[in-house]
Amino acid sequence: MPMRSFVARLALSVPAAAIYLGLFTLPLAVLFVESLRPFVPGFIGGSRDAGLTLSNYQNLLSGAFSAALATTLKLGLAASLAGVALALPLAHICARSNSRRVETMLIGFLILLMFLGVLVRAYALQLFLGSVGPLRPLINVLGIATTNRAYIEFTVCAGLLHYVLPMSVLTLIGSLRSIHSSLHECAQSLGASAWMAYATITLPLCAPAILTAFLFSFTFSLSAFVIPMILGCGRVNFVSTLVYTRFSEIANYPSGAAISISLLALSLTAVAVLSTAVRRWTSLRSHT
Amino acid sequence: MSKRFQDSVWRVLTTSTVVLSIVFLIAPLAVVTLLSFDSRTFLGPLPPPSLSIRWYIRFFSDEMILRGLRTSLLLATAVTFVATVACVAVAVTMMRTRFAGKKAISAFLLSPLVVPPVVLGLGILLYLSALGIVDGFTRLLCGHLIIAIPYVVRASLISLSGVNPIYAEAAMSLGATERAAFWTVTLPLARSGIVAGAILSFAVSMDDVAVSMFLTDAQTVTLPVVLVSAMRANFDLTIAAASVLFMGIIAILMVVLDRTVGITNVFKNGS
Repeated sequence: MPMRSFVARLALSVPAAAIYLGLFTLPLAVLFVESLRPFVPGFIGGSRDAGLTLSNYQNLLSGAFSAALATTLKLGLAASLAGVALALPLAHICARSNSRRVETMLIGFLILLMFLGVLVRAYALQLFLGSVGPLRPLINVLGIATTNRAYIEFTVCAGLLHYVLPMSVLTLIGSLRSIHSSLHECAQSLGASAWMAYATITLPLCAPAILTAFLFSFTFSLSAFVIPMILGCGRVNFVSTLVYTRFSEIANYPSGAAISISLLALSLTAVAVLSTAVRRWTSLRSHT
Repeated sequence: MSKRFQDSVWRVLTTSTVVLSIVFLIAPLAVVTLLSFDSRTFLGPLPPPSLSIRWYIRFFSDEMILRGLRTSLLLATAVTFVATVACVAVAVTMMRTRFAGKKAISAFLLSPLVVPPVVLGLGILLYLSALGIVDGFTRLLCGHLIIAIPYVVRASLISLSGVNPIYAEAAMSLGATERAAFWTVTLPLARSGIVAGAILSFAVSMDDVAVSMFLTDAQTVTLPVVLVSAMRANFDLTIAAASVLFMGIIAILMVVLDRTVGITNVFKNGS
């Protein structure tokens, strides 16, 4: 009887195991092998019998990849930093508001945005920041060409920010709420100004949550695809859009696979470094 | 500077940041909504001189869009069903069994979340072509399943392990079999979390572009992919109408969800 129930339990995990093995582990393994195959124009997939090579990775060092990598890191970092910085006051309001109504509406709105996904928002920002949007007078006065590369980069950054900001607020709310408001009041009654109390009491206490919000934002930005594709107008390339052009335009699968593996390594490194930082910080705080 | 002055400057600064952030989040959606009722056939400056519902009519009469909508709905339903069944099953195993490496396994089950979707898309494309699977719908189902499943895994694990085993034990001590106790006691108690996970996976599948771009074929195209190609091709406010319809559906879904499960509570408790 116990044997039978053990087998029955094991059987229950078969579908999930099959999905993860068949659709996650094996495809990534295939992708890795593909990245080591020499590229033969005109074939789907690299050459099978020519042995394995590192040339796909060597080719990445020169050319479009490094430019895309620099753009991804630069815009991702800018959007994540801005996202976390802007999320702090918003989360503060959600967590500390005396009116339940305001709180529920704000949180509901942020969750609505999260559910809305990226495509609708990328399109909305394209219209909003475009040449006929409500910013038209401002754009005209400042004499900005909307086809200018710097402006397109700004648009992509705004697109990332639109996604990252609600996510950061939702990440920060819980932590801010757990900080007792009397701590802040104490500091102020002892002579600290509001911003001093904020900088020396509130910020250090929610540092792990701030780092977590940054982790989510930055890893999202690194792998963002729709936002740079729609808002980048084909001029601003991210690593992920480069993978797609290798596939759709020149059908160089081995090179696309090599870029994919590099992107994966980059994402995993970012997650590992930042989550270690979060853990260190949390344990540091619990010791003191 | 006096402390009082500093405090009021600080208050003005934070309040204006909050207001600007909210405007930044809302304004683009408002512009889309306004433009979706634009009666002009070209993209002109705001506000539109007159309103019409022509783009909505276009949306419901465009062959490609309707086909994409059908594929997307079918796909999201299939993905949600398969993912929920598989995840509840594996969560039951994880909940009842104690073994070394349980934490590692849960981490592995969530790991597709940190893999960029384009990487999964290309990987699945190459893998399925190697196996000789070229049917668009099957490929899309495979791709969407792996991006949606971590959300359902997380929801099922959290909600099933959150049910106190005492209730099931009480049912069994009153004569219920283990199976009956699960179906009539544990599962209904965990229902709201599982439903939230299922809805999230439905939304992930409906919204996906990055994975689908690699896996569609000429006959099977999802709605977001149709919209993306329309966006790149030429100016067409049908996409704005589609966006507004999508927002409406999501808003209704959220209100229903909040009434039944209380979705805002999930986030309020800081998870």
